[in-house]
Amino acid sequence: MANTTETAKLAKLDTARHTKALSLFASTMTRHLQHSLMKSLLVLSVTTTAILAAAMPARAAGETIGGCVLEKLNTSFEDGNYRSLEQMLTSTASKENGKSDDDKKGGTLEKKLEGCLEAPDTIIPALDEVIWGGLAFLVLLGFMQWKGFPAVKRAMDARSEKIRNDLDAADDAKTSAQRIQTEYEEKLKNAEEKAAAIIEEARAKASQLKLDLQAQAEAEIAEKRANASAEIDANRSQAIDDLRSEIATIAVDAAEQVVAASINPETHRQLIDDYIDQVSASGAANTARTNGSP
Amino acid sequence: MNFLALEFPPVSHLFDWPTIWLDDTLLAVNKTVLIYIAATIVTMLIFTLAGRPRESLVPAGIQHVAESGVTFIEKSVVMQIIGPDGKKFMPLLTSLFFFVLFSNITEVIPFIQFPANGRMAIPATLALMVWLIYNVVGVKKQGMFGYLKNSLFPPGVPWPLYTIVAPIELVSTFVVRPFSLAVRLWANMVAGHLLLVTFAILSAALWEIYYAPAVLPFAMLILMTGFEILVSFLQAFIFTILTAVYIGGSMHPEH
Repeated sequence: MANTTETAKLAKLDTARHTKALSLFASTMTRHLQHSLMKSLLVLSVTTTAILAAAMPARAAGETIGGCVLEKLNTSFEDGNYRSLEQMLTSTASKENGKSDDDKKGGTLEKKLEGCLEAPDTIIPALDEVIWGGLAFLVLLGFMQWKGFPAVKRAMDARSEKIRNDLDAADDAKTSAQRIQTEYEEKLKNAEEKAAAIIEEARAKASQLKLDLQAQAEAEIAEKRANASAEIDANRSQAIDDLRSEIATIAVDAAEQVVAASINPETHRQLIDDYIDQVSASGAANTARTNGSP
Repeated sequence: MNFLALEFPPVSHLFDWPTIWLDDTLLAVNKTVLIYIAATIVTMLIFTLAGRPRESLVPAGIQHVAESGVTFIEKSVVMQIIGPDGKKFMPLLTSLFFFVLFSNITEVIPFIQFPANGRMAIPATLALMVWLIYNVVGVKKQGMFGYLKNSLFPPGVPWPLYTIVAPIELVSTFVVRPFSLAVRLWANMVAGHLLLVTFAILSAALWEIYYAPAVLPFAMLILMTGFEILVSFLQAFIFTILTAVYIGGSMHPEH
């Protein structure tokens, strides 16, 4: 029981959903028809179909000369004017020579047959067509004057205006872009020039600095060399002085020892060797001091 | 060949259409009337559709048809012949062009196959209307005396010749113009329709007798159908441009 109720509820809901979807579709289509090209196309199609449908059965008089001649001959024959077709044709032909007894009949038939070649005058305008055609054109003229032409012209002008504005805007944008490009190019050029100048300046400074440092180094080296030379000279002088003083002292001492201890040859030799050792030791000590050794 | 001659309807029968509705009244409706009404409705629809605001910059479809027509008439007819002050006649000239064109072009539309301007009604009515318009414009622009003087005695002609020129101009401007305007359109459409009917009947008749010879008239029928499309456009253009010439002459007698 519960299942049946549930199914019924679902079916009802489903139907409602479908109905809603259908009504939504219908309203959308109606709105679409009201405000879109479809409406115009529908009107155009219906109108054209209606006119075609009305015009198609309206055929031309369509009567051929042959058909007309046959019809007239048949009518005349059925009216009993002639006993046979041969008599009718003979009568019609002999009428032309004025020899027949049936002149009157033949003449009438000939006139009828000539009528087959006649038709309504095509040059004189038919009044109904003048009225309808004139009205149709006046309606068209009124519509074009009032709505049709201005609307199309307005649309064309609006489009032209839009295109003109777009082109102007594009021109402006192009001019602006060109100006910005020129500015950037100018700035870039200036920056490049500045960079080149800075690099050149730096290079010159570096070169100058190098020269200065080189000169300074050379000067320092020269100064150090001069100082060293002066120091060496001073040391040498000092060493010579010291040596001289030392030798003098040693000589005095040696003289003292010679004098003091009666010198024999062996002793004499011993004294000279000692003296030479002392001098050598003294010279080595001076040289080591001059070279900065401790 | 006698058979073919008998099959061919009298010429005037090709242009005589029975009444469909309101027979024996001044408002009798036949096929010609239906074509006039269709020409009006189709032109109105084209301009209604083309006049709607659109987002697209490129005209397409029906919009293109209407705009091409308007541009063509503005650039090639009005500006060339009348000048900028002739723009107020644009609706008239546009209506004339499309109405005449659609009344002509039915000549080659299947199941209709008849040029409504093969009947004299609209050529005569339109020619009379054009006659009225250019005369009114002339009188309005130049005054009655000035208009007649400029029309009958064109400047630059030695005065003894006026005895010959004035009557010629009188007949030409006030009688022959509307007549020639109407007859030109009507006769072209009649001739075109006759040609198409002739080749169509010839094709059908030869097809019934023997197939092969029908090819030649049928080929001509196809060729003439294309030619008649051109004639339909050309006659609409000629009618419009002559209207512009007459109106321009009334507005600017110095030209």
